[in-house]
Amino acid sequence: MASLLGKMLPPSVSDSIAQLQRFPLEIRDAYRSFRSTGDIAALHMVVLAVVRDYMPQPAETPLTDEMRLIEDLGYDSLAVAETVFFLEDLLQVRIENKELLQVRTVGELRGFVTRKVEQKPPAAA
Amino acid sequence: MNAVPFSLRRVVITGLGFVTPIGNDRSTVTAHLRAGRHGLAPVVFLGNPNLPVKVAGTVKDFTVDSTSWRDWRWPAEYEIPRETLRGLAPHGVYALCAVMQALRDAGLSEEAVAGDDATGLFCASAGSAMMLHHNLAQLHAVRGERGNPMGVVSSIAGTLNFNLAAHFRITGAVCGFVSACASASHALGYACDEIQLGRLRRVIVVGAEELNAETLLPFAAMRALSSASDPVLASRPFDQGRDGFVGAGGAVVLILEEAGLAAERGARIQAEVAGWGQAADGHSMAVSHPGGAGLRLAMQRALAQSGVKPGEVDYVNAHGTSTQVGDRAEALALRSLFTEAGARPRVSSTKALTGHPLSLAGAMEAAFCVLALTEGFIPGNPHLVTPDPACEGLDLPRAAVDRAPRIVLNNSSGFGGSNVCHVLRTPAESPA
Repeated sequence: MASLLGKMLPPSVSDSIAQLQRFPLEIRDAYRSFRSTGDIAALHMVVLAVVRDYMPQPAETPLTDEMRLIEDLGYDSLAVAETVFFLEDLLQVRIENKELLQVRTVGELRGFVTRKVEQKPPAAA
Repeated sequence: MNAVPFSLRRVVITGLGFVTPIGNDRSTVTAHLRAGRHGLAPVVFLGNPNLPVKVAGTVKDFTVDSTSWRDWRWPAEYEIPRETLRGLAPHGVYALCAVMQALRDAGLSEEAVAGDDATGLFCASAGSAMMLHHNLAQLHAVRGERGNPMGVVSSIAGTLNFNLAAHFRITGAVCGFVSACASASHALGYACDEIQLGRLRRVIVVGAEELNAETLLPFAAMRALSSASDPVLASRPFDQGRDGFVGAGGAVVLILEEAGLAAERGARIQAEVAGWGQAADGHSMAVSHPGGAGLRLAMQRALAQSGVKPGEVDYVNAHGTSTQVGDRAEALALRSLFTEAGARPRVSSTKALTGHPLSLAGAMEAAFCVLALTEGFIPGNPHLVTPDPACEGLDLPRAAVDRAPRIVLNNSSGFGGSNVCHVLRTPAESPA
């Protein structure tokens, strides 16, 4: 199952890489790796980079699982919505408002995105 | 609260900020106006060189043509945090920088206006057609399933007020004005009223407009734009050979204060807004009344509120966009009000130099009037060769006049027959 995860994501890898153009090469490579092998550790790298990218007040402090998006990272509800919109588009998943309410920390977001990607029905061949 | 009675409360201008086709600071703009030097440049929209839109009033030193704020660039002297950038439209970047510049010009810190219940923010903007189109196209592409969370605040007509009020922590009042090319003039007029009514003691008045295919090309569809490729021929208000307006972008900000507040803090008073007036044409959704009836009434009302007679007006900054019908209507309105009263103020349209920045026009030209009053000159009509016969009797100087005006009018007209006129005067002219 895991090895199929990356492959079943439309649109094409090159379209998604274009969305990641502003990110460092290692993040784009991680995304490629996730798409070709379903490597969840690589997906987590991408999620962390996206979390950092949407912080309203950028900071270089390392992100840990315990950090709360709003209280610790300065997120507001719009920044949460931006992050979710970007991940929805990148990973072709849909995240409901009530699901969002359960995500408060970086770790919860990481876990949540993983479950979403795993639940996603395989695309038609 | 303010104890001065309504009739005695005076409104003064203490700060200006410019991001315009003819310069991004006060001294550059003044130099262009004095020299009659335009800020138009060749443009190609949608990668199509065949379009009949060849030149425009471009904004220099800013790059905001992308739909992603991450690609935008602006002069290094302005610091724009990511928290603010993410909700802006492209013209919001111009506006933010112009507010910062105007506050500095007024001797005000950002801390002084943040959370000050006496300071309001009135904005004029048509929104960002480019951002709106981009966001809606995204929404359609996924059949409505998801969209950019910043889509609304970065595109609809209130985008300037939403974002600037948040950035500058405005608590007095925040409001937007949409009356097409009279929008910023309405913002300025109603700002004066709020100060005179004693509700606010200071208003930051902002006008801004984008210059891109989405904003400008719909006017080509109306056959309202000049197709000339020579800038000197493209924007020539009141000339017999004019063939439409030239689009422009930018942002201009005026800091209006109750005179008592300006005096208390020792601010430099640059000009007084003696009064304003508005009236409507009741004629067409887009075309001016052929005799300029609404504009004439707007000017009469502005003069009446100001206690100024036609013969006392030294200069009129005309709306004059370089369209056939609009310029003729304004010329007839001016003749009817001034020439018939034996008055002969200097008249010019600075849109020859800037092009026409739509919602921004009224604020930009009010600020030009302030420059004329403070720097002591009257802008000319450098592209005018053969005046339209409708202008007979009007004094349309070609070059700038090296003479200090004391009382000036600023005209604006917008779609739907919306007409606004401001009367500005030097502080020395103000009654005691």
